[in-house]
Amino acid sequence: MSVQVNSMNRGAVRSDLLMAGFDDAVQDAQKVFRKVLKAMSEPGTILTADLTDKTPGALNKSSWEIALTLFDADTKIWLSPTLAGDDVVVSNLRFHCQCPMVSEPAEADFALALADELPELKTLNWGNSEYPDQSTTLIVQVEAITNQVQDSDEGWCLTGPGIETERGLSAKGLPYSFRLDLVNSRKRFPLGVDCVFCADDQLVALPRSTEIKPSDNEDGIRNTTQQEAN
Amino acid sequence: MSSQLSSQLNKPATQTAGAEGYNFAYLDEQSKRMLRRAMLKAVAIPGYQVPFGGREMPLPHGWGTGGMQLTATVIGEADTLKVIDQGADDTTNAVSIRRFFAKTAGVETTEHTADASLIQTRHRIPERQLRNDQILIYQVPIPEPLRFIEPRETETRKMHALREYGAMQVKLYEDVARFGHIATSYDYPVMVNDRYMMDPSPIPKFDNPKMNQMPALQLFGAGFEKRIYAVPPYTKVMSLDFDDYPFEVQSWEESCSICGSDHSFLDEVIMDDAGNKMFVCSDTDYCRERVEQGFTAENPEGQQGLTPEPNQSQQERKTQDDTKAEEMAP
Repeated sequence: MSVQVNSMNRGAVRSDLLMAGFDDAVQDAQKVFRKVLKAMSEPGTILTADLTDKTPGALNKSSWEIALTLFDADTKIWLSPTLAGDDVVVSNLRFHCQCPMVSEPAEADFALALADELPELKTLNWGNSEYPDQSTTLIVQVEAITNQVQDSDEGWCLTGPGIETERGLSAKGLPYSFRLDLVNSRKRFPLGVDCVFCADDQLVALPRSTEIKPSDNEDGIRNTTQQEAN
Repeated sequence: MSSQLSSQLNKPATQTAGAEGYNFAYLDEQSKRMLRRAMLKAVAIPGYQVPFGGREMPLPHGWGTGGMQLTATVIGEADTLKVIDQGADDTTNAVSIRRFFAKTAGVETTEHTADASLIQTRHRIPERQLRNDQILIYQVPIPEPLRFIEPRETETRKMHALREYGAMQVKLYEDVARFGHIATSYDYPVMVNDRYMMDPSPIPKFDNPKMNQMPALQLFGAGFEKRIYAVPPYTKVMSLDFDDYPFEVQSWEESCSICGSDHSFLDEVIMDDAGNKMFVCSDTDYCRERVEQGFTAENPEGQQGLTPEPNQSQQERKTQDDTKAEEMAP
């Protein structure tokens, strides 16, 4: 399948914008992978990935380190507009990961987005029923993540594989429509999009197997889940 | 900045105690990234088999190359590796894989289940309850539980997609019709998180209850068939059965001839040409630990009146019964 290259990213890598990746590409990638593996297998667990000093442009530490760990020439990457328009981000991803960039989120293996530039969930690849693994993994940079959800209107109560009883999670700055779509997407399991939320050097994962319930009385989402329960 | 960059780029590659000329833990970084991405999908869809590009390992397929590729991908300098083959640390397969990673990754190895952060296993789950900070990596010969019922991959894919698992119930029923009980004793199919049917690899069904709600992450690697699947910690794993023929595990009238254990999985060992035999724990580390605690065949209760550690499989068995009772309750 031919990959349509985003026209605004057609430019070559600008060497004056490059910065260092991992100090030790082998060991650091392994350490970050183990954090992501732990995050993905125990959804809602907040982990710290702090192995780089500087990050390119608007990328934060954890999303930059995930890119260095998982992206390569085999993974098609979709960047949200601000990131895609930033030569620093694009040059460094190109140089360190050699990853092709795509302009359609549906074609991407990984979509890397800022919280206020999220693509609609339905525009990503959800996989198919025989190969649900061929889905997009969504990496979102958010303001903050916390397991304290008592006073938060963005809080979730998570249950499912990897969670012994239940776990609270709040990712600040996600649009309401996205949170609603994410809750509703659970009905289509095993199809779906696995999310990783990155805030500074912290990361937390929300794979499609995790059931999400809003922890407060937010009308839209609450009603949906109550209907499901009934 | 560019001078800083060039100094970074000129840094020598990772120097470890590993074998010279090889990358850390043998596999190259691009293969590891591919395996890592597949592993994350496997964890996100518990029980689903993710295809991956299997690599050649320096030993033949069927000797644990799937498990080794997972171990090579997961392992880091801080890890302590234990490898078991049918429960034993000192059999050929276990010894050579353990030495392989000691050599290529320079990691600590151990025979003690409690000290290991990674445990690669062929066909057993350790008797000692695993912790949340441990990862159990299974070597899998045939990942598809439906393969002997339906040989076509395209069809088994559809059966998984549609959750069409009746054929397996029929197979178990044929056991009941022919033998009066479910005679399948290893490779016993399970349902993961009520969605995917999964082959637990040829572990004895004695070990199946340990998989349910296990605190450790379980990863499965099939080198021949190039499939990865996973069970995250605290995930529901139920063995298939019938209401009137509930799942049950093996039990022995004998107890271990070395440590006196009457609750672990026992191997039958033929002693001589006259047909004399003894039964010993299949899990060598568990048996050693009990002997150190003063348990013997003559004194199975322990010398200092030590109470044996709570038997995990019995506990877990109860959990499965409880879960079932809850489900059957109106």
